[in-house]
Amino acid sequence: MSVVDSPATRRPRDPGGPRQNRVPGHVAPRRRKRNSGLVPWALAVPALVLIAALLGYPLVRMLVLSFQNMRLRELISGRTPPWVGFDQYTRVLTDEVFWAVVGRTVAFTVVSVLISVIGGLSIALLMRRVTRGVRLFMVIAMMFVWALPQLVAAQIFRWMTDSDFGVVNYLIDKLPGVNYQNHSWFVNPWQGWSVITALVVWAGIPFLAITLNAGLTQVPKELLEAATVDGATPWQSLRNIILPILKPLITIVTTLSVIWNFGLFTQAWVLRDGHPEPQFQTLATYSYTQAFGQARYSLGSAIAVITVLLMLGVMIFYIRQMFRIGEVD
Amino acid sequence: MVAPAATPTPASTVPLKRRKSKAVDDGVITVGRSRSGTILANTAGVLFSVVMLFPVYWVLNTAFKPADEVLALEPGFWPSNPTFDNFISAFKAPLFLQDMLNGVIITLLAVAGALVVGFLGALAIARFSFYGRKAIILVVLVVQLVPFLALLIPLFLMLQNVNLGFKKFDLTDSLIGVSITYLVLILPYTIWTLRGFISGIPRELDEAAMIDGCTRAQVFWRIILPLTGPGLVATSVYGFIQAWNEFIIINTLNSPEKQNLMAWLLQNQTTRGTAWGPLMAGAIITSIPVVVFFLIIQRNIATGLTAGAVKG
Amino acid sequence: MKRKIAAVAAIAATLLGAAACGSNSDEDAPTTSASGKVDGTGKTLKVWLMVDAQSAWKNVVDDASKRFTDATGATVNVEYQQWANHLTKLDATLAGSDVPDVVELGNTEFPKYVFSGAFGAVNPADYENSDSWLQGLKGACDFEGKTYCVPYYAGARVLIYRTDLLKKVGAEAPKSYDEFLATAEKVQNAEKANSKFGAVYMPGQYWYAAMSWVKSTGGDIAKQEGDKWVGQLSQPQSIEGLQRWVDMVKKYSKADPTKNENDQANTFAQGTAAMFYGNAWEQGAAEETKKDPNNPDSPLVPTKVKGKLAAAPMPEVPSFLGGSNLGITEKSQQKELAAQWIKAFTDSTSMAGLVKANALPNATALLDKAAADNKTIAPAALAAKNSWFPPNAEKWADVEKGAVLQTMLTDVLTGKKSVADGAKWADDQINTTLNES
Repeated sequence: MSVVDSPATRRPRDPGGPRQNRVPGHVAPRRRKRNSGLVPWALAVPALVLIAALLGYPLVRMLVLSFQNMRLRELISGRTPPWVGFDQYTRVLTDEVFWAVVGRTVAFTVVSVLISVIGGLSIALLMRRVTRGVRLFMVIAMMFVWALPQLVAAQIFRWMTDSDFGVVNYLIDKLPGVNYQNHSWFVNPWQGWSVITALVVWAGIPFLAITLNAGLTQVPKELLEAATVDGATPWQSLRNIILPILKPLITIVTTLSVIWNFGLFTQAWVLRDGHPEPQFQTLATYSYTQAFGQARYSLGSAIAVITVLLMLGVMIFYIRQMFRIGEVD
Repeated sequence: MVAPAATPTPASTVPLKRRKSKAVDDGVITVGRSRSGTILANTAGVLFSVVMLFPVYWVLNTAFKPADEVLALEPGFWPSNPTFDNFISAFKAPLFLQDMLNGVIITLLAVAGALVVGFLGALAIARFSFYGRKAIILVVLVVQLVPFLALLIPLFLMLQNVNLGFKKFDLTDSLIGVSITYLVLILPYTIWTLRGFISGIPRELDEAAMIDGCTRAQVFWRIILPLTGPGLVATSVYGFIQAWNEFIIINTLNSPEKQNLMAWLLQNQTTRGTAWGPLMAGAIITSIPVVVFFLIIQRNIATGLTAGAVKG
Repeated sequence: MKRKIAAVAAIAATLLGAAACGSNSDEDAPTTSASGKVDGTGKTLKVWLMVDAQSAWKNVVDDASKRFTDATGATVNVEYQQWANHLTKLDATLAGSDVPDVVELGNTEFPKYVFSGAFGAVNPADYENSDSWLQGLKGACDFEGKTYCVPYYAGARVLIYRTDLLKKVGAEAPKSYDEFLATAEKVQNAEKANSKFGAVYMPGQYWYAAMSWVKSTGGDIAKQEGDKWVGQLSQPQSIEGLQRWVDMVKKYSKADPTKNENDQANTFAQGTAAMFYGNAWEQGAAEETKKDPNNPDSPLVPTKVKGKLAAAPMPEVPSFLGGSNLGITEKSQQKELAAQWIKAFTDSTSMAGLVKANALPNATALLDKAAADNKTIAPAALAAKNSWFPPNAEKWADVEKGAVLQTMLTDVLTGKKSVADGAKWADDQINTTLNES
């Protein structure tokens, strides 16, 4: 069963309608693990066909493309681009700019996910501690943030950090002894990335905090009280009771955050006004600028393929774990 | 993995659920509770909320300012001459309403489609054991890692020339084409999350029903589907947000008449300067459907997320 | 190994239908004629224009389309594109079969598409004023002796200044570059009290400006040597110009070194600068804003600097000639009709409409008349006569898209690189990009 108020804990009003269709002597197939025949396939076919058609097929095309050299001329004329084998891959993998992008993307992912998850967990714990009115206020605040589309959120941050009209500069400048007039946040990559990270964390916290808070409601109160009686410090309770119970949930939300933040595109794109400088390129924007900005469609495809492989490498642990869960039931 | 699910579920776990009783026992951690501690926590909570809300407040503040106040070197923290001009401007702008309607249609189609198709797929992997099941699970997990932007051109070419054997279709520049694309975009997550919900339903229920003479189809329809209800709602949150927020695919596939509000918002950035006021007003209007959606289903969000997430 | 994989991939591609199916479009395609009468009854022409046409001169578009419809019977469907991502969309669309018939692109974006065979050849003689088309626009259309697009409108950059502030320090429109610097110095001193004030507003990634300064000392961005392009920014003359610009910006500008010029009129309207370098229409944009930016007919609201601006050619600095051209896509099924529409949209009537909207016409023959008809654009019309345009190289648009010059300028302005290092780096990037096969 699931963690919270799961559907399964509710009692169906009329499980199956015992009065109808009763076939005497019909025995439930207890060994459902066998002889399912075509039914599961029939159920899965619509999903598989759609995935194969709209994801699988373009994916194969992308793969094929990465072994060619497709430029604008080939794209327009529809002629088969020349085959170049692994040239695109060699070119990408020997390019130090690419590795800088990879390093940057990974660093950003690690930092932003750490901050988001720890922040989200802290907020979730805080939500358990405050009075109801305050909790409601917190939830409403987070709902609003969560509801803001990514594009909009990014534009707000661009507007707030604008060097001429931004409220952030205005406020910081008000601090005594600080001159932040016309300060540009994207000269120094550290500062620029701080803004991007702030945006991503700010936008990511609601999902994390609300989910983890729901998970926390499942920690049995009696257990914590007993622990306190036995002299456990709050920190010990957190480490030894709360975290182990939350662990599966934390794994999931962390993984989702990794997938999302690793694919960072919109935020960097909007904050840099559609032309991220080299120090603000991530794998996603880099692949996109190479493919569409520079009309190196094949190179862009090769970068995308490498990105997927990198992700697979990072996610292999998660996938294995998920796979095991999927296996079990 | 520890299965926290084993613990009995207290009756009230939904964070927003209001209780008549004054007793504070809705799962609040009572460890180290003291009056000063509560005050401290409340202060922190309020402070956090204020910080979170600041950008939202700033959007509202900007949206209600007349143009000359928007671009001011000393940003006003309250519009001195509040006006609805920016909202009127957005509403009257070419294609705004059209694109809003498109966005709603596309989102609903994609989410509904993904739920139907995803539910069936989830049933297959949650309730059956068959040759190829592992492969399907693997596919569902791995495709979530694919960067969709890299597939833009193949996708475009394919949609432009959809050949169903009896007839050829051009699905670019159509709401259907984008809807299907979004459907597939959110499908893997949907299948995976629903799978978690379905496995959470004890098999004994199915079996009892089958003993009572239900056919397998009836079991799906009468038992599993209703019990997955909250899961469907929770899963749709993700799909809704994804489909509503996407702008790059739709901008490439469709002409402005067939785009959504996100793509429309991009228009406010021209080489002739950004129109911040109407942009922020448009942003607010764009967010309203999501806020409304969230408010309607808020009880299910947290529940569903945890349940779905933990099981999958 | 390599070959084997390639072979497997080739088979896969064939099976998937990725293999050749198009015609050889760059074999001598016939030139589309715009002369004579074309009957387009029942047909619809698909036109992609940039959003500027919608916001600034939609009436001209509508009028030209109406005349076109009257003459041919065909209807016109105009779709307005955003600068931010129009090329991505164009790429995907051109790869398919259902393409727009007429496409507008910026003049610096054109060569890439012309070289790649995206556009069909036109016959210049069919279009009004074609004998005096602005070279900065037409150059982008030329390829192997043929013309592949039609100049549409231009913009030249001028010095726009605050008459009141200059008068206060007893200055007028500068006649020489030294005078310009002296004026900036005087104004800067006069406004010392205002910490936000910078005499010149010059955002750091305004590469059109920076390169104009490079040109002012005889420098260049890149030039063709044989069949190779060679970046010229690290040549002494270029360095001199770049240094001149950097010195000026560092001393007199308070603008964001990571911003481009898109918002400069709005920012200048706040009154914290005395001069900026912009298009003719930006003077208007700084003095008045539309009450409702989404509505082209909206009433105008004066800004703080209303009535205090004037424009003059930037002394000694040749202007970058920006602008747009119109091309007929190679895959268009109705090229003749497309040519007719372009003809209507670029004739003298339409050009007069553009001039009213503060854009420069597409031909030198029209510049003088434009200057006489519309005082606002007179200095720009003058500046257009002494103008430059970026290398007419196939891959030039990729240099722009790669933000090479923008990045270099920010780095140099913020002291991350010296001018020489920055120029060297940009040259390397330019060489790689332009010579890539």
